[in-house]
Amino acid sequence: MDTKRILIIDDEETIQTVVQFGIRMAAGWEVFTASSGFEGIQTAQTQKPDAILLDVMMPDMDGIATFKELQSHSETEQIPVILLTAKAQTAEKRQFNDLGVSGVITKPFNSLDLPEQITRILHW
Amino acid sequence: MSKNSSKQLKQSGAKKIKHQRRIHKRLIKTLFQNAHDAIALIDDRLCFVDMNTAACDLLGLPRKQLKGQAISTFITAEFARQPKSGNFPPAQSLMGELLVSSSAQIQKEVEYTLTPNVFPHCHLLQLRDISQRRESMQAELRQQKQRVELFSEVTLKIRQSLQLKEILHTTVTEVQRILKADRVLIYHVLPDGTGKTISEAVLPDYPALMDLEFPQEVFPQEYQQLYAQGRVRAIANVHDPAAGLADCLVEFVDQFQIKAKLIVPIVQNLNANSQNQLWGLLIAHQCDSVRHWVDFELELMQQLADQISIALSQAQLLERLEDVVAARTAELQEEINVRKQAEAALRESEEQLRLITNALPVLIAYVDDRQQYRFNNQAYQDWLGQSPQEIYGCHLHQVWGEDCYQRMQVHVKTALSGQAVNYENDIVLKDGSWRSVDVTYIPHLDDEKMVKGFFALSSDISDRKAIERMKDEFISIVSHELRTPLTSLHSALKILATGRLGSLSSEGQQMLGIADDSTERLVRLVNNVLDLQRIEFGKAILECQACSAANLTIQAAEAMQAMAQQQEVTLVKQPQDISVWADADYILQALTNLLSNAIKFSSPGGTVWLTVEQAPASTNLPPEVVFRVRDEGPGIPADQLERIFERFQQVDSSDSRKKGGTGLGLTICRKIIEQHNGRIWAESTPGCGSTFSFTLPTLDSANIS
Repeated sequence: MDTKRILIIDDEETIQTVVQFGIRMAAGWEVFTASSGFEGIQTAQTQKPDAILLDVMMPDMDGIATFKELQSHSETEQIPVILLTAKAQTAEKRQFNDLGVSGVITKPFNSLDLPEQITRILHW
Repeated sequence: MSKNSSKQLKQSGAKKIKHQRRIHKRLIKTLFQNAHDAIALIDDRLCFVDMNTAACDLLGLPRKQLKGQAISTFITAEFARQPKSGNFPPAQSLMGELLVSSSAQIQKEVEYTLTPNVFPHCHLLQLRDISQRRESMQAELRQQKQRVELFSEVTLKIRQSLQLKEILHTTVTEVQRILKADRVLIYHVLPDGTGKTISEAVLPDYPALMDLEFPQEVFPQEYQQLYAQGRVRAIANVHDPAAGLADCLVEFVDQFQIKAKLIVPIVQNLNANSQNQLWGLLIAHQCDSVRHWVDFELELMQQLADQISIALSQAQLLERLEDVVAARTAELQEEINVRKQAEAALRESEEQLRLITNALPVLIAYVDDRQQYRFNNQAYQDWLGQSPQEIYGCHLHQVWGEDCYQRMQVHVKTALSGQAVNYENDIVLKDGSWRSVDVTYIPHLDDEKMVKGFFALSSDISDRKAIERMKDEFISIVSHELRTPLTSLHSALKILATGRLGSLSSEGQQMLGIADDSTERLVRLVNNVLDLQRIEFGKAILECQACSAANLTIQAAEAMQAMAQQQEVTLVKQPQDISVWADADYILQALTNLLSNAIKFSSPGGTVWLTVEQAPASTNLPPEVVFRVRDEGPGIPADQLERIFERFQQVDSSDSRKKGGTGLGLTICRKIIEQHNGRIWAESTPGCGSTFSFTLPTLDSANIS
């Protein structure tokens, strides 16, 4: 498994931390963090991560809006996005898939399992 | 006998003859002069020779002037114009009629007898004036004609009327007028033998007999029989013994100043087989003088009596008809009364129904099979601003408008197909605000099971909806708020458990393990609560499509393989290639739930079977597929088989914690299967394991419905 560069966009610092720890510990990948949609978009543009983990429920700019914004920029539109959501319902998952995201991982999750889940979703 | 004496005898004989001749001559002369008929002697030239006084009167000239005048001056007859009388047949009289014009130019019709040659060249002409006779005959004819006309007028009047009383009145009035009688009456014989005058026309000078009742003895039975046989009586003078009236009767009629009377019977022939019966008498009285009744008068009376008889029959028919009509009218009236009562009762019960329904804060209506309102309660007025009267007979579309009707239409069709239906709808109130309503349609079936319409009940569930929304939002927020810290907690514990951040003592490891298990349980609980809530409130919109039962079996088994291995349980699947109509994600959730339960409650080394098969065909059920999950676990007591599907129900609640269950799994399964129009149930033999089964509609049956 190559070393991947993952960006996690979530307003919750605890999530940022456990994701960062978990991914590093399980796979040794590099993890960038952003606490809002705006920050995430900027980070994505500058860092060009291999994948973005995007929280859906965020203040100001939610995950959906952030994703749309990412899709509208040529530098970021190619980056695969996986939503992290508490809205675990089948119908909602379908709705997110329809948006064009690469996948959905529902909360609560075990951050140690994330690299494996990401690998499976993105067929790495 | 002496010569003298013979001479004397001769002389006396001659004297005698002479004397006789003289007498004879005087007699003839007297007869000639005093004869009523006109007598004239005419010569061969047809000129008057002599004539009597009557002839002078007839011709209007004195004897002296007439003598020598040609008869043709006065007489129109053929023979008078003959120049000579030579054509008269010898010794044969001519008879005939001719016209005589007197000197005063007065024409008279005359009957004549011409006796030729009573003396040589002298002919006898007798003339009898018949003008008067003619006139009186014509007058008689005129009178008869007039009477016939009157008679037909009367009969017409009789026939034109169906009212007997009027007919009788017309008859007596007209007869009185035509006969110029002083009194005409109709006497009706009553069944008990008495009788009375029921119609009368009488001149004002004489007492009226109208309505006067006569006892039986006035008109005894034997008389009645005579009249019934057609007797008529024309009595010119009641006092004439020849009339044969009993003294008492004469006395009786004298009371009423009756001098002459004419009586004809009015008989009735009730039917072809019965004898004539005397109904009454038509009587004319003359009171000022005796009167000789003439045949015509008698005939007229008889004919009118016949007409009255006909009128009587008709009147009786009419009366019978009237009776029938009256009876039928009474029946109809009775029917109307019954109907009115029924209507009143109906009105009363309808009023009661209105009273009840108007008091309820829900929309209550009855809609017929043409989707037209037949009943509405007051709530329609309060909510929509349309009164029940305004709505009555209106189509649903008219009342609710296009948008709302679109949402109703499919349910209305269901109700009209005979199926009860319940759904939620949003309606606009009169003030423009929106309300959520819960609507129930119950079809109304007649005796032949035909749908006549449906009953509609709509209740306001806006408040409930608002609470639901709040709850929904609350759960959504809580779920998010819970999940985020749970994620952090869960991940942090997992990271700690790796030991890469420093090692813990064995007691520390034990505590970490407890924290980790509890966190996992909390995660499952939150997931299940959310799942249940979503499914229960219909938020989960099933996206059914054709799914392979085999694929579902394989996918579910694969998902649970890891858990089975962990529990050392053998998972046996028997996929079948059948298509079901389902939402694959939800069915997988149900299947994995059931498998997870089965694995949890199996002992190590046990087996769990997942099978699927086509349900045996049944006449009253659509084709189904049955999924079964069988285990060899401890089993479920019979009294618990139904309860385990209820919320937070487990056979042994301590199990739930031990086995890591939430108590919501089966409830969620049941909700999912029911939303698929399937059934779910459990069977168990305690000690020998349990089988959980559920059905799903096959592709075919889903398409049919």
